[in-house]
Amino acid sequence: MANLSVNICGRKLKNPVIAASGTFGFGKEYDEIYDISFLGGISSKGLTLKPRLGNATPRIAEGRSVILNAVGLQNPGVEEFIREDLPFLKTKDICIIANVAGASYEDYENICARLDGIVDIIELNISCPNVKQGGMAFGVKPDMVQEVTRVSKGALSKTPLMVKLSPNVESIIVNSQAAAKGGADAISLVNTFTGMVIDAERRRPVLANNTGGVSGAGIKPIALRMVYEAAHSVQIPVVGMGGIMTGLDAIEFMMAGACAVQVGTANFADANAMPRIISEMNAWLDAHGVQDVNDIVDTLTLN
Amino acid sequence: MKDLTATVLRNVRIADNIYEMTLSLPEDIGPIRGGQFLSVSTGEADQLLRRPFGVLKSTGTEVCIGYQVKGAGTQALARLAPGKDLKVLLPLGNGFNLDGYSRIAVIGGGVGIFPLIATITQNHTEKDFYSYIGFRNAGAVCYTKELSKSRKLVISTDDGSYGLHCNAVQAFMADYASLDMDCIISCGPLPMLKALKASLKEAGCSVPCFVSMEERMGCGIGACLACVCKGADGSNLRVCKDGPVFNMEDLAL
Repeated sequence: MANLSVNICGRKLKNPVIAASGTFGFGKEYDEIYDISFLGGISSKGLTLKPRLGNATPRIAEGRSVILNAVGLQNPGVEEFIREDLPFLKTKDICIIANVAGASYEDYENICARLDGIVDIIELNISCPNVKQGGMAFGVKPDMVQEVTRVSKGALSKTPLMVKLSPNVESIIVNSQAAAKGGADAISLVNTFTGMVIDAERRRPVLANNTGGVSGAGIKPIALRMVYEAAHSVQIPVVGMGGIMTGLDAIEFMMAGACAVQVGTANFADANAMPRIISEMNAWLDAHGVQDVNDIVDTLTLN
Repeated sequence: MKDLTATVLRNVRIADNIYEMTLSLPEDIGPIRGGQFLSVSTGEADQLLRRPFGVLKSTGTEVCIGYQVKGAGTQALARLAPGKDLKVLLPLGNGFNLDGYSRIAVIGGGVGIFPLIATITQNHTEKDFYSYIGFRNAGAVCYTKELSKSRKLVISTDDGSYGLHCNAVQAFMADYASLDMDCIISCGPLPMLKALKASLKEAGCSVPCFVSMEERMGCGIGACLACVCKGADGSNLRVCKDGPVFNMEDLAL
């Protein structure tokens, strides 16, 4: 049994596997299948100051080895999260990451201030591709990435800030550095790639939103490249994600420079994906004589 | 709710584009109520989403689904031979709760018939069902033996090639005044449910009507919020977790 515990911005996780935002709700449903205390952490469904109803349906579609979603940040709002969901998460031995989104700098500032000190990490969602206002608008231009990070960080005195980056940008290196300059304590990537699937019979996109975020096994090589580039352009911790389906996938992300990983789409393909990934990581480490998962971080040798 | 590896026991064609698959489960999961569903992997590694299907029959250690071959996922399912292992999550959703009702009108069409058949099969010895089932044409007609456990069964087809030449809602409304029912259950395409709602409203119907909704699903357990439908109060209801069966008056159909 290798040591699986990792540290992100001073927060200790018992293992590096975190449920990715938007695929896991606030943990209650998956806790009916297995005790979510088994996980390193959970990143909440994207929260906004006020409740949001999200997009019309269909909100989900499939391509080869990928899925697309366009839920549109449906969420009960931060106050209901604090009242109804946070107490449940607090009963679990798990790193609680609140994923937050806004439509203005003030929104980001206010929601961060509201959650400061009551969650373990705040993950700034500046890369949701499925809502017209907020999210994505802040995640594309480097100067806006830096500014939204700076404003959010200014509202936080106790809770570390992790900025979740969009892959739909000119340079993931420049945007990673922009987040770091803005004062991010960590970055996470990648969010989903904007895509489309078409129903040829109807000559219409399958998703009601026309486009959606592409995730799942098929995006892994692109995500790995971006995580590698990001991890080698900033000094702050990087949490990697994008198509992780197995323990070996997670190991690869950590070799590329991620100190922890998030798992999203795999939960749909296999409801027990995360406990399985944790045990597969442990088995790989044991088989390779690695006693501490931290020893594989950033160990890639380029050709 | 259990996440299990099931084995295909049988997978056979029942009617045009309609197949029935029986899965053997590694443990007894107890009774599954009509209207409850499962989500099952397609056996294709590049299809990441599990597919939701209403349960047709179950014995605790065996569960049977009916499905219509429509897209890549159901095409993959139709190719599966006995012995193949599939991941399955079940039972999911609430199902039809008929406690307190004894004379039930059933309106169904298309793949919506499967949860209705399960409901009739489970309850026909204690309750009377008056069933109005629509199919596209004679080639699509199936499960008439199970449906015949209803006290009354009226089958209709869109082209008149079998039974009445009308849809299920029209067939039901033709008998509506003469039926002494205390509850209505329905499952089928959205246009059918909308037509049913409009017809019941026009007839001034005060009998409760429970409908099972269909939507593209992600997780199947209420976490991802992909499969929502609109509630009458404007809120979003999760088809997989809050439903799939809803009181029609709670929905904005």
